[in-house]
Amino acid sequence: MPAPRLELRGVSKSYANGGPPVEVLHEISLTAAAGSITALVGRSGCGKTTLLNLAGAMDFPTAGEVLIEGRSTSSLSESQLTALRRRRVGFVFQFFQLLPTLTVLENVELPLLLSRAPRSAGTALDRLRWVGLEDKAASLPYQLSGGQMQRVAVARALVHAPDLLIADEPTGNLDTTSGDQVLALLRESAARFGAAVLMATHSAEAAAIAGVRVSLKDGRIVAIDRG
Amino acid sequence: MKPRMKLLRSLILRPLRRDLPRTLLTVLSVALGVAVVVAIDLAGDAATGSFRSSMETLAGKTDLEITANGGVDERWIAALAALPVDARFSPVIETQAVLAGVGSVALYGLDLLNLAGAPNGLPRVAVSEALARALPVRPSAGTVLTLNLAGRPQRCEVAQLTPAGAAEFVAMDIADAQQVLARYGKLDRIDVSAAPGQDFAALEATVRHTLPAAYLVTLPGARNQENQRMLRAFRWNLRVLSYISLVVGAFLIYNTISISVVRRRAEIGILRAAGAARWMVLWMFLAEALLFGLTGGLLGLALGRILAAATVRLIAGTVNALYTTSRPAPVVLTWAETWLALATGAVVALVSAFAPAREAIQVPPTEAMSRGAHEHRARLAWKRALAWSAGFAAAAWASSQAGPWDGYPVGGYLAALLSVAAAATATPATVLAVNRATRTLVRRKVEGLLAARSLQSSLSRTSVVVAALATAIAMMASVGIMVGSFRQTVALWLDVQLRADLYVRAAAPAAAGVNPPLPPDIGAVLSAIPGVAAVDLFHALDLHYAGERATLGAGNLDVVRRYGRLRFLPGQNRDAILRSLSAGDGPNRAIVSEPFAIKHHIRAGDRLTIPIGPHMVALRVAGVYYEYSSSQGFVVVDNATLRRYLPGQPATNAAVYLAPGADAQKVRRQIQLRTAGMGISVAPNSELRRAAIEIFDRTFAITWALEAVALVVAMLGAANSLLALVLDRRREIGLLRYLGASPAQIRGMILTEAGLFGLLAAILGLALGFALSLLLIFVVNRQSFGWTIQFHPPGLLLAAALAAVWSVTLLAALYPARVAARLVPAEVVHEE
Repeated sequence: MPAPRLELRGVSKSYANGGPPVEVLHEISLTAAAGSITALVGRSGCGKTTLLNLAGAMDFPTAGEVLIEGRSTSSLSESQLTALRRRRVGFVFQFFQLLPTLTVLENVELPLLLSRAPRSAGTALDRLRWVGLEDKAASLPYQLSGGQMQRVAVARALVHAPDLLIADEPTGNLDTTSGDQVLALLRESAARFGAAVLMATHSAEAAAIAGVRVSLKDGRIVAIDRG
Repeated sequence: MKPRMKLLRSLILRPLRRDLPRTLLTVLSVALGVAVVVAIDLAGDAATGSFRSSMETLAGKTDLEITANGGVDERWIAALAALPVDARFSPVIETQAVLAGVGSVALYGLDLLNLAGAPNGLPRVAVSEALARALPVRPSAGTVLTLNLAGRPQRCEVAQLTPAGAAEFVAMDIADAQQVLARYGKLDRIDVSAAPGQDFAALEATVRHTLPAAYLVTLPGARNQENQRMLRAFRWNLRVLSYISLVVGAFLIYNTISISVVRRRAEIGILRAAGAARWMVLWMFLAEALLFGLTGGLLGLALGRILAAATVRLIAGTVNALYTTSRPAPVVLTWAETWLALATGAVVALVSAFAPAREAIQVPPTEAMSRGAHEHRARLAWKRALAWSAGFAAAAWASSQAGPWDGYPVGGYLAALLSVAAAATATPATVLAVNRATRTLVRRKVEGLLAARSLQSSLSRTSVVVAALATAIAMMASVGIMVGSFRQTVALWLDVQLRADLYVRAAAPAAAGVNPPLPPDIGAVLSAIPGVAAVDLFHALDLHYAGERATLGAGNLDVVRRYGRLRFLPGQNRDAILRSLSAGDGPNRAIVSEPFAIKHHIRAGDRLTIPIGPHMVALRVAGVYYEYSSSQGFVVVDNATLRRYLPGQPATNAAVYLAPGADAQKVRRQIQLRTAGMGISVAPNSELRRAAIEIFDRTFAITWALEAVALVVAMLGAANSLLALVLDRRREIGLLRYLGASPAQIRGMILTEAGLFGLLAAILGLALGFALSLLLIFVVNRQSFGWTIQFHPPGLLLAAALAAVWSVTLLAALYPARVAARLVPAEVVHEE
């Protein structure tokens, strides 16, 4: 049986900030296989974003382990982590987070440029075509609608064919139609590119596309719904 | 606490504390700007403020001074004493003597009969208490001191120590002074003191009426005023140079407040929506600027005081080498200077903060505008800015055409300021153009692409930083070009001017305005030496013309014609002019140096009446020649003309031309042998040339120091602004890390951005620098000093300087780059 794309083993996370440590995640364990969609649901402040950051190797657990493709993120050096993010992880954020100074195509191409991948423009254009925004390639982000921006963000997150796609409230800032379009893309990401999608969401529609729904409360898993 | 203070604390002071490194950088920029201004002012005062004769303390108050070039005939003392006025007429000899361990000090010969006639035959002297303290071994009555008088050692016995405040001098009886200085029958001046009750106007009229018209009768402060007037162009130019750092600092305050406004746009919107009046918002940002200004001013004052102590000797050196003898006085920080420093800091801060603060109050309450929208608007405004730039450039050109105003090159400086404004307003267009031109190039590396786009996206801020750096570079480049051109012009002129093989002068320390005499028979001694083809004996005398000081020179102009290569202004025939001066018949003729001609609006063919000894002599100006050793200027006549009015006047310099094949070393040794004990020095041509260039370089050393400070301020600004850009874009930088950027790539991006800053600043700075150098050379210098400088840009020096500036800009970016690379992405991407 192949190793899961992502595995969290008894992960806890606390912050000190000068005072006594505050635990924001408590002994979380979960896995995400290739082509699966996992939704993290729960109220604001329940630890969803912290969990996503740990899963994306942007932060490290205080206890437990985060394994991406079987390798513990805590054991990796800074350059190995960078390499891991470049090859294996893609991110989609609630507020799109496109660079306002780059064109739409350059935004999509950026992860490939950062990893100095060859033929980056062609690949980026392919992804842009996939999200249906090929004609906006030369536009600047401010010339796009919110839905279009998020589609660009999805194209960017998948441009380097990552094993793991992490999405933080991807429809949280969109109207229903745009939200549906983005969700369709996420579904396709898992199905077509084989990415393991880990998504934090408040939206029932978004959670509905997931094969696994993990409910969090005060940093603890309170329910896992597979179906 | 009042609500306004509360707002100030929470909206301005707290963020300033949070951004402590940036706050400190801004304060330091202002402080350095103020420090340079304070230092130059204090050091200038100390270096030039000591002209007031220290002998007042010794001889009492003086009401009038009588002087004449070539000296005052001492027989006039008797004639004046016989006048029916109640006044004292005191003979004075004032010169410089060198004392081991102290250097040059004033030596007075006065009517001090109590000092006359030491039993051991040595002249007896009074030594001021301050000088006694300065000597390596404190003298007392009976101590024998050795004074070096124009190269000759003279032993004297100390008769008494005289309390005279801080004044340092040696005084002896007039008869002894005349004897040791070989100035028989001649005085430097006669001091007149009116008795109480004597009608001053009547005294002055009687004295003037009695003396020859060529004698100068002046109030005691006149010499000091004359000195100050002579130095005003020098000091003014120095002062203007010292303002460069302030101008650069002003850009940086503008930038800091702009950043402050942009970052707090949302808060301003909320405040305004909550009912804050516009003026309250304006007041808050101006208060922030004022805080920078006052703190920087205070720090600058302290720094300036320290810098002044280090600078005073440098300025005094220039004053001594080029203008007149002065001993630097102690640096004194006055209340006026203190207030001026604080006011300078505050005014610069307020003026530069006004535009961004005004922008802050125009934020509509409903709109908490984003940086993107603000910058987008700035991008659209580049055409309007370019139109302004063209307007400023046209105004600069028009201003440069104006003549001097009360002797000051006001039009030139205004043109320089307008040129800076033109360059500053052309910056956005330049940034965009360079960005466009390098689009393909920067895409090769992602760091380049991101850096270039970032520059463009924060155009308004980028432009200010680039303009500040460009201004500093331009100032450096322009002064570099001006000094380089001047140096080359002087070097070429020295080649032409110094044609003689050997130069002879009294072996006294070189100082401007001091012309110790050579022995009377020196001409005959030199001419008799085998290998000597010709000797040009030159006489240098003080000249007062139209309220300004100059030098009256007399030489053997036939020798100059035959051996020298004096260059005249275009269209003037050198040979014919010099021949007409040395011809014994016809009217008296003179040639004048270019600075003298410009200062007094004199052209070839004009008539000039000057005092020579006791006579007012009318001269026809035969030509104007190039001269770079004195901005006061020269009037030169032939020796025969001088002898006609001042017979027996000793020469001050001799130029010796050798016969073909003669060995210069041998002749020099012969001269030294035959003049042993006369206290003269013989220097070969090359030595004089080297010394002249050394003086030149020393003179401009301070200029370079000022440039360096301006550059440091600009560097601080670059670091400050890059840090601000990093903090402002921390979310984007965090995002890049999410997308796979390594810390090294982030560092590379910031350093590339700094490199682009440097490149843009270098392009703009060099262009502006060339324009400013033309203004400095052809307007400011010509109007201030009257020199024609040929344009010789020092290419290699400029290239090296630009490379250095570029490297230092990169160095300045290391800290911001480190901050950027260390940002925690998970924190900055999600923060609101």
